[in-house]
Amino acid sequence: MKRTPLWVRILQYAFLIVAVIFALYPVWFAVIASGRLGGRLYTLSLPGMFFPVEWTFNNYREMLFDRPFLSWLTNSLKVASITTVFSLIVCTSAAYALSRFRFRGREMILVFLLALSTFPGLLSLVAIAQLLTAFKLFGSHLGLILAFTTATLVFCTWNLKGYFDTIPIDLEEAAQIDGTTPLQAFLLIGLPLAKPALAVTAILAFMTGWGDFIFSSVLIPGPESAKLAVPALYGMANNVGIDWGLFASGAVFVIIPTVLVFLALNRFFESGLTLGGVKG
Amino acid sequence: MGSKGGRKGLTIFLFLMPTLLGLLVFNVYPILLNTYMSFTDRNKTRTQPACEAVASKVLDPLCWPVFEQNTRARGRPYEIQQPLFENYRFMLGQFFSGPALLSLLQIGIIFVPLVAANVVNRRLDQNLDRPISSTAVWVIAIAAVALLAFVIGLREAYDQLMRTGPFIVVVFKTILFVAIRVPLTFVFGLALALILNSNLPGRNLFRILLFVPWGASSVAILVALIWRFLFYEAGPINQVLGLMGIVGPKWLQSPTLAFGVIVLADIWFSYPFFMVTILGALQSIPQELYEAADVDGASWWTKLTRITLPLIRPAVLPAAVLTSITAFQMFGTAYGITQGGPLTGANTPGATEFVMVYAYNQIYNYAQWGRATAFAVMIFLMLFAATLFSLRVTRITKGAYES
Repeated sequence: MKRTPLWVRILQYAFLIVAVIFALYPVWFAVIASGRLGGRLYTLSLPGMFFPVEWTFNNYREMLFDRPFLSWLTNSLKVASITTVFSLIVCTSAAYALSRFRFRGREMILVFLLALSTFPGLLSLVAIAQLLTAFKLFGSHLGLILAFTTATLVFCTWNLKGYFDTIPIDLEEAAQIDGTTPLQAFLLIGLPLAKPALAVTAILAFMTGWGDFIFSSVLIPGPESAKLAVPALYGMANNVGIDWGLFASGAVFVIIPTVLVFLALNRFFESGLTLGGVKG
Repeated sequence: MGSKGGRKGLTIFLFLMPTLLGLLVFNVYPILLNTYMSFTDRNKTRTQPACEAVASKVLDPLCWPVFEQNTRARGRPYEIQQPLFENYRFMLGQFFSGPALLSLLQIGIIFVPLVAANVVNRRLDQNLDRPISSTAVWVIAIAAVALLAFVIGLREAYDQLMRTGPFIVVVFKTILFVAIRVPLTFVFGLALALILNSNLPGRNLFRILLFVPWGASSVAILVALIWRFLFYEAGPINQVLGLMGIVGPKWLQSPTLAFGVIVLADIWFSYPFFMVTILGALQSIPQELYEAADVDGASWWTKLTRITLPLIRPAVLPAAVLTSITAFQMFGTAYGITQGGPLTGANTPGATEFVMVYAYNQIYNYAQWGRATAFAVMIFLMLFAATLFSLRVTRITKGAYES
């Protein structure tokens, strides 16, 4: 292989550095604003827009101890985790049937799932809200969990089914010769091999609940202590006379862990496992 | 055999039941209720159903016995409209009139050279040596588009179309958004992937740093708020511009600039997906092909257009189709940054009111359920067609046993 000329290298690095600034600055901006004195979003000193020239932890302290932020976080964690568990159980069961059995209408069900998912969730929310009201679940976390779980069903079933398909069925057939039932063979041999797909599906299901704005803002209108972190912070930012430092520290608390989880799992995302669950 | 088949059927049914039940209640039912509501005049002042109507009795939970003890709100109930398609007519506006259809046709004609270029290139590719390179064909085609746009008057045709009715305005703007956003994201992702795929020292660090927006995109609405702050009048962008002696514009007050800001922010959210997909595809291209091309003295551009792009096509095309569909449904970016504004006039959708933002505003800010659901039904039909098309392109329904 030829060596790359020096000027090409320099151009490549220049491009990458500009791209990295583009990629990181919005998050970095929130981090700086979260430590700024006086609850201001901006500072008139230019260096202050790019470097933490002043720093205080007061915003974080007030957010954590004087505001319902901790209950927002725990609500979000609770709702998102239970959604993940529900959706993994339900989807694994469906994906198992769709991948390991040949039956009439199998392909039809797969297309049916996809067709349903083209109806935007935002638009079915009116009906879902009425339905949950009828079942006295409106405004409760359980209702939200049910709505989130069904919102994940299609991509989660598709993802898992696709991955189960790539696991050779021979291994399970060998176990069946040793006397297990097909289901046992799948649970003992197939499922452990599907760990990467389960991990990615779990994280996508978790993010459905964790990052959602529309469902959780409509289905949980109040009280403050019942809200989830993302809609609550959004509501905070649109209040008049908001303390920006507080908002920024809350946003940092939500954004940074999310980014870190994605970074930790980035090799799963790079394996192309998520094509069925592309998120804009 | 019969009983065994029956047991197998029961097993399959039990495994599928939770999923199907969930979808029936939370997906199929809402679609039915939505479709019904789109034929009614339900709005802010008419929220209650007239339970005497059979369809209301069955579909609207407010008519169900569970609700009977609840006191009904006052006001006239909503009913099926006469004429039946009134909401659809409102949404489509003057679409089926001469001038509107003509302007749509004009816009279509302007882009004919691009289709022609594609056909010509495919023809020429069958010959062993082409009289003209594919790049040249594309350049000619783009020049022809620019010429046609000038001759026919793209601007007037577009303005004419923007006067028809909310549906066309919103959908057209969204398509424009997708048509700008997806290719730009692709080019940016491709450039990054090409650089990261070379043996550049420190490329792993860059790859991880450039991956950050993907993580942030799962809390899109919060990050979109931050993007809004960046482009405020006293925000960092204008401060940097001020340093260079430029008085920064009011980004979010101008229709065109606000549109641009949303495109930029949405590229930020979505380029890592393209970058990662392309990087994966690049790594599967055998190195020998490039070495052979080097022996032939091929230029960098020839290698890119003749080896790299054709070989990553099978991996990138499905990704491009799927992101186009998700970009069409983009909500968080636009809602967080502009909430659909700035306004472009009374009773017309805002400059950045893309389909989902428009639907959200109609339902939750104006309580126009009847109209919003009619809008929803039409969008559903469009997305459904697009998804069927994407199935053909991506071939993802094939199971383990088919090859």
